[in-house]
Amino acid sequence: MSSSAHTALPVRRRLYRGVRGLVVVTLTGVVVAGFLGTIPQLDILEQSARNLYFHVPMWFSLMAATVVSAYHSARYLRSGARVRDLRAREAARIALIFGGLGIVTGMVWARFTWYEGTGVWWNFDPKQSMAAVLLLIYGGYFVLRDAIDAPKDRGRIAAVYNLFAVVTMPFLLYILPRQMPSLHPGGEGSPAFSQTDLAPAMRWVFYPSVLAFLGLAWLLYTQRVRLAWLREAVRAPDGAPEPEPAPHR
Amino acid sequence: MDWLAGAWAIFRKDLRIELRSRYAANTLLLFALGALLLIAFAIGPQPVSARVRAALLWIVLLFAASIGLGRSFVAEYEGKTALLLRLHTRASMVFAGKLLFNLGLVGLLTVVATGVFLLLLGSSVGSPGLFVGTLALGAVGLTGVTTLLSALVARASGGGPLLPVLLLPLLVPLLVSGVGATRKALIGQRWMAAQDELLTLVGFAGATLSAAVLLFDYVWDE
Repeated sequence: MSSSAHTALPVRRRLYRGVRGLVVVTLTGVVVAGFLGTIPQLDILEQSARNLYFHVPMWFSLMAATVVSAYHSARYLRSGARVRDLRAREAARIALIFGGLGIVTGMVWARFTWYEGTGVWWNFDPKQSMAAVLLLIYGGYFVLRDAIDAPKDRGRIAAVYNLFAVVTMPFLLYILPRQMPSLHPGGEGSPAFSQTDLAPAMRWVFYPSVLAFLGLAWLLYTQRVRLAWLREAVRAPDGAPEPEPAPHR
Repeated sequence: MDWLAGAWAIFRKDLRIELRSRYAANTLLLFALGALLLIAFAIGPQPVSARVRAALLWIVLLFAASIGLGRSFVAEYEGKTALLLRLHTRASMVFAGKLLFNLGLVGLLTVVATGVFLLLLGSSVGSPGLFVGTLALGAVGLTGVTTLLSALVARASGGGPLLPVLLLPLLVPLLVSGVGATRKALIGQRWMAAQDELLTLVGFAGATLSAAVLLFDYVWDE
């Protein structure tokens, strides 16, 4: 990925096509196996355990997009290359999308397990609330971008906000939820998943599902970056934006 | 220029300008007083639980800071003095000076708002030491985050209302642990009982201050 700034497009086409094929096949398989496969019958969870194949990979994709966005923000501060800013922005957009999907799938899951019979959709479970705050932070990131006119300033200021927000995220996602009572797995110092939690039959769907959703996030991300790059190229008077200069620090 | 002398000079400059107009301090205090009076009217004479009282106090502090602390960097750009500062001082001196000044403002805000709050809602503090400690730690974290973000927002054209939008989600960890520790202080629990919250406050202040010092160079230098 790092050498791609020197080619005409910031995305390698052959890699993209390969991943696209794999993701289409795997995701189809995951959807079919996720809804039709057999799962262990447990009280309360019952059929809703199938949501594991969709809810959890959403969060993995969100985390991956967050890390990618922060990484490219840091690289942008070092080099000032436009493509880094575009990558950071599009990764943040992907984080918003997958975070939103993660919250929706989580809400549905909680409604029919934890809050079954109460009709409550949202009851301030710490993980839920903190995830909502994370989305607010990324919303603020885009508002800040829109408030700055000069592209160079915009990229730098937004990158600083992004990195600063990343510093507070461990508090939101790992420290505070462990201090509060929660029904969500992963409280009280235990990891969200241990080796014994997951039935072997479900692993055959869950692990490919994680990879497939990460691949899907990557596909969306690279396509957004490509689109943003082409837009810049059309707007700039002398063709494509300049390639990455040598770091000056 | 010597680093300490530079930072101290920035602090003294800000303090002197502030003492001439008293704009920032008066806005901050009047906002906090207004909000507290509104809360007192809205709640009425019935006693409220310690949790609600702690939450209200922290909400007032956070909103007052997010509204009142945005001025200092905006004033440098509006008065065209930013370039002069950039020529004569390093970025970290500016940040340290502004941070110190903002810490003074937040300290004043915290003392006055808490005093009025205790007076209006007539609540006694069970363990004053824990109460003061929580507020002090919270004030440090609040100042660090607000100072860096106000420098960011000063570069944006929108200005004013942007700061709360960016600031409040980042301050959620501070709010949650601050409210938790304050509630325990109000009902008179010991230091040890609030250890998780206090450690989170210390960690939050440390992490955000370090990140702010590192990142401020990129905001300030062109």
